[in-house]
Amino acid sequence: MTTLLETRYRAVLRLLPAYYRREREEEMVETYLWDLDRDTQDQSRPTLGEVASIAALAVRCRLGAPGAPRPYALLGSAVRQFALFAVLLQATSAVVDRALGLTWAFTRGADERRMFLTGFTGQDTTGTVVAVLTWTLPLLWTVAYFALLHDHRRAARYGALAAALPTLWPLAGSLADDQAVPWMPWYDTPAALLAWLPVLALCAAHHRDAPPARLPAGSPGLVFLAGCVVTGGSIVLVPAAADTVWAPATGFVVGALGWLLWRARRMDRTPPGAALALAALGLLVLVVRVAALYPWLHVPGAGALVGGGLGQTAALVLLTAALTVVAGRDLVRR
Amino acid sequence: MTAKGMTRAAFFVLTALADQPRHGYGILREVEELSDGEVQLRVGTLYGVLDRLTADGLIVLDREEVQQGRLRRYYRLTDEGVAALDAEAERMAAGAGAAKRRIAEGRRAGTPARPAAEGPAGLERPTPPGLAGGYA
Repeated sequence: MTTLLETRYRAVLRLLPAYYRREREEEMVETYLWDLDRDTQDQSRPTLGEVASIAALAVRCRLGAPGAPRPYALLGSAVRQFALFAVLLQATSAVVDRALGLTWAFTRGADERRMFLTGFTGQDTTGTVVAVLTWTLPLLWTVAYFALLHDHRRAARYGALAAALPTLWPLAGSLADDQAVPWMPWYDTPAALLAWLPVLALCAAHHRDAPPARLPAGSPGLVFLAGCVVTGGSIVLVPAAADTVWAPATGFVVGALGWLLWRARRMDRTPPGAALALAALGLLVLVVRVAALYPWLHVPGAGALVGGGLGQTAALVLLTAALTVVAGRDLVRR
Repeated sequence: MTAKGMTRAAFFVLTALADQPRHGYGILREVEELSDGEVQLRVGTLYGVLDRLTADGLIVLDREEVQQGRLRRYYRLTDEGVAALDAEAERMAAGAGAAKRRIAEGRRAGTPARPAAEGPAGLERPTPPGLAGGYA
């Protein structure tokens, strides 16, 4: 007769995908219930630790664990590439933003330098610490990017986690009723998603059993440098249109367009799930683009910024649609 | 799986299977005993490790039994599994040996200062160790 504990444990095992349950469920139930007294089993429940271990196994099975069926292997590959492309985008944006900021502050005279430094020193201690962390932590996206491509997965996870933290400041400030960093939910929420979804993907999909991260083409340093040139160049060439999303959105548009062209020539070498990963990232960048643009639509004198933003929005819509079509074809073909 | 990439859990699971084939619960208990209770694998973690070791060809299914309507699977090491465990054990032994040698060297280097440090209260305090742990 089935005990209540066995029923509860089988309910926990339902977290696992069907293919895995078919293969392992009876064996796992036997292992779990082996030395538990049958008379007292109805008073027990699976511990939190046991449930957590099954949940972790369930995530791993769905993201391409050894022996996973093709759809899960494909999903795992797509999520891993989403993490890689998003981390690259964040890394180049963070480096370019700070490099240009420093250049502007220290080459334009004393007033600009003072204004830059006042951003760190012109407030109380907490404000100064927050400002310094907000400026420095996003640089860890670069650490995460190179660590990921050199197969140092733990360093990549910690780097990305720390780098994404500043996107939570506005929310934390609003919860603490501190207006130093104002909370603008219509923009801060998608911006936080653009940072935290890659972190989640990195932690979940780049697990021990996952294959090492690989770029579709080029070496890590060269691709990073090219990303910096494109994002930085977009600000230098069109400064009037450069809001906070301009550089990463341009980076994504150029990168995704380049990937589509490369794919047209080297279709056989396209990693599975890459189009799906880029389509998901494109959708996310598009949402952030629109969120950042919306408040400027009716501001007088913001014509260049609005025009640039609208142009980017159109390019992102077209690219995301094209990538979705390509992803759909890849899924059918594979 | 390279020796460098072997987790503690995988090492103990391989060790648990080194002398005879075992089933899931048997591996859990053996790992706990081998590690003096330090490693207590959850069932979810155990099967993640078993999946990985199977995929790497280090263990294989030995036999299946059905006891009281429940499935019991026994696993055993392959030749590759024995070799990987042996290599990991050698690596760990080499690391432990190096640590012991360094500790012994450190103790020998620290010997002249010890009598002063352990001298009676009220005497002049010994010179604190330098950055490298020496007294130069």
